[in-house]
Amino acid sequence: MTTSAEPPAPFLRTVGISKTFGETRALDSIGFEVAAGELRALVGGNGSGKSTFVKILAGVHRPDGGGQIVVGDASYETMTPELARSLGFRFVHQDAGVVDDMTVAENLVLGHPYPRNRLGLVDWSALKARAGELIERFDIDAKASVLLRQLRPATRAKVAIARALQDINLDEPGLLVFDEPTTALPNREAAHLLEWLRGFAERGQAVLFVSHRLDEVLALAETVTAFRDGRHQATVRRQGLDEAQLIQLIAGRAVPRTSQNGAPQQHRAGRLELRGVKTGPLRGIDLTVGRGEIVGIAGLLGSGRTSLLRAIIGDLPVDAGKIVIDGESMSVRRVADGMAAGIAYVPENRLLDAGFPDLSVRENLVVASIPAFRRFGLSSGRSEIREAGVLIGQYGIRCGGQSRAFSTLSGGNQQKAVVARWLRRKPRVLLLDEPSQGVDVLARNEIEQLIRQHAADGMSVIVVTSDFDELARLCDRVVVLREGVMGRELRQPHLTEDAIAELTYGPMEVRHVDA
Amino acid sequence: MSMLEHDKKAPDVAAESDDPQARVSTGLTLRMAETYGFVLAFVAVIIVFSVLPATGDTFASLANVRSIIGNQSTVLIISVGMVIPLLAGNIDLSVGATAGATSVVTAAAVSRFDVPLGLAIVLGMVFALIVGVVNGILIARVSANSFIITFGVGTLIGGLLQWYTKSLPITANLPKAFQNFGNQNWLGLPRLTFALIPIVIVALILQDHTPYGRHLQAIGSNERAARLVGIPVQRSILLSFVASSALAGAAGIILTARSGGADPAAGPSFLFPAFAAVFLGMAMIRPGKPNVIGTVIAVLFLAAAVSGFTMAGANSWVRDVFNGAALLIAISMATWFGKRQGAKRI
Repeated sequence: MTTSAEPPAPFLRTVGISKTFGETRALDSIGFEVAAGELRALVGGNGSGKSTFVKILAGVHRPDGGGQIVVGDASYETMTPELARSLGFRFVHQDAGVVDDMTVAENLVLGHPYPRNRLGLVDWSALKARAGELIERFDIDAKASVLLRQLRPATRAKVAIARALQDINLDEPGLLVFDEPTTALPNREAAHLLEWLRGFAERGQAVLFVSHRLDEVLALAETVTAFRDGRHQATVRRQGLDEAQLIQLIAGRAVPRTSQNGAPQQHRAGRLELRGVKTGPLRGIDLTVGRGEIVGIAGLLGSGRTSLLRAIIGDLPVDAGKIVIDGESMSVRRVADGMAAGIAYVPENRLLDAGFPDLSVRENLVVASIPAFRRFGLSSGRSEIREAGVLIGQYGIRCGGQSRAFSTLSGGNQQKAVVARWLRRKPRVLLLDEPSQGVDVLARNEIEQLIRQHAADGMSVIVVTSDFDELARLCDRVVVLREGVMGRELRQPHLTEDAIAELTYGPMEVRHVDA
Repeated sequence: MSMLEHDKKAPDVAAESDDPQARVSTGLTLRMAETYGFVLAFVAVIIVFSVLPATGDTFASLANVRSIIGNQSTVLIISVGMVIPLLAGNIDLSVGATAGATSVVTAAAVSRFDVPLGLAIVLGMVFALIVGVVNGILIARVSANSFIITFGVGTLIGGLLQWYTKSLPITANLPKAFQNFGNQNWLGLPRLTFALIPIVIVALILQDHTPYGRHLQAIGSNERAARLVGIPVQRSILLSFVASSALAGAAGIILTARSGGADPAAGPSFLFPAFAAVFLGMAMIRPGKPNVIGTVIAVLFLAAAVSGFTMAGANSWVRDVFNGAALLIAISMATWFGKRQGAKRI
């Protein structure tokens, strides 16, 4: 399978780089090469080891012994951030952070010392001159005096990148690593930014970019390296590579999976029905979820997955369309309405949207049902304590006592508490957004088991996740959400990671819905 | 979200949960200190001034206790009111001005317009509630910053009071019975004590034993999460400002009764002591969080200290230095305790 793509004289070469975290082998003897002037894409699923590899190059992680990182004639067993820097390695993270209300010139010097004049005040003309020089050297299509918010998204990203790279000498070879540079950008902007990144390769830099968007990988990279399960799966030339082959590289060979759900279940009457729901990025969603059915929503970041869940619970007003639950048309205008209709929502960002960090585990467990614990009109501490004790036991939440602050729990136990908070309300429909994000494998399995049990008792579930493996494992059916409409769907037993990846990244073939 | 971000966050959370047993045993002493440290400081202040030869006789007398409780009743009610919006993370800086305005409205209605006392009190309270609704709407619906809005509203009301009263107290024609209420004793204690106790109890029940108070605390912990578990965030915040204004209004009426009139300068002067007490209260009982009991103790603590210093013949600057230092120490400790619990900055 490996087509060797070996340009002469690689700028960077690694031999036998491994990394173990506790019991987990994150990287397994990675051999890797990249040449000066090459534009290389690094692809792989979550947990494939690509981030770990990048962090080893950056000197953030120390590899296990025995490997080598070779740059020119010198060979190193491990990197440090300073060493990586002196070798001409630069790393640009996706959230480089720009200040929208400052000018391009000021954004370019953020984090670097301001030029000062003799009085110690900011020397604005020197600042402007330096910004002008950077704008020219990095070929940024903006004036120094313009506010960032007035620029198109791709140009804003360029400013952030130029700031991070301002001290490099583009005439000397170096390695530039971009971690998902286009994640936050719409398609056209992403293409524009990547075209600009290609300029770095043309000027002799080795450019490595991590991406989840296969279309852009196919459009721009010269060569593609795929990681899978901590191994260097293959490095191939992009020319002649098609999407199916690329997916095959990422997902590995197609292994027939045995589903936890066994035979496809016959789902009884529809429980939740969405008819032509439009809001935000959603351009008309039709979806029916049966009683006890677990439906997965696949789709890229920004496809409207989260908006869909927020619209159902009532946190996002629906512009058009209908949401019907058990035959009754719902009017959800706020979250309380959705909850009253029997809907529960576990949001994606636990810390920001679900946890009450300084409140106790008990308070976090009962917070969605405070009025239910009333006696003679007043909150009854005793019944809350009893209920929290039951939930902690039932859901296996390890917390060292229900009075401990929520923030002291591990990610997995926090998530179990959030799930328990909702399941105790015996919802008719449970909405899960990235339920296993930041959750250890053990807790993830426990949560999945709970969800299956409740589904068997008739609760309907909608799961949104970027983890295809999770979708394949947990769901009865997976629907792909693309560009605001529902695409094709897959059912057990055809529900495999590969098949989902193909639907998500593959060419669109959808029922057309006018915007 | 990328893997890179994950790796950064996960270890922090995990590290905190390491070996919970060890944390519990070493944490117990610390937790007692957090919870009751300032209560001990309060007791210490009382003991010192009771024992000191210069102050002992007068400080420990019943008359002084009466005077402290009587004088602090206004501040106490105002600061208990401030706790309510602060549970949800919002500060109400207009309470001093609202108390003053209620006092002026009530006194002016009786003295200048011959309105019966009962109706005058109702008018004063209506004014206070209007202030609360205005604060609440601007903060909850418009999502303006509570600090700025209530500071602005307080300043505005203070200015209007000066204009209306020409900065002169209104004292004429107030019924004697009304004035007596504020100054007489029952069972050897000031009558006001009997008004304070139910207010404190109701506030305490509201804070911990009503769904509403619990909702406010959830909003104070994480407003977005509160919205996503169906808590009516806007309505709760709006009502919390109505509640703080209502208590400020009650304080204004008591102030009128005690002083036998309305001094336009009196209300605003209560803001700093109340503000200090609320934040000092966050350093005890429920460390890092606003709470009614801590606030009540803090009011009495500051008042006892001031009374003691005055009797000891200390210059007035000593009081200010003591108040300022107590507040700084308290707020630093409260923030630090709160951070240990994962709370956001005060």
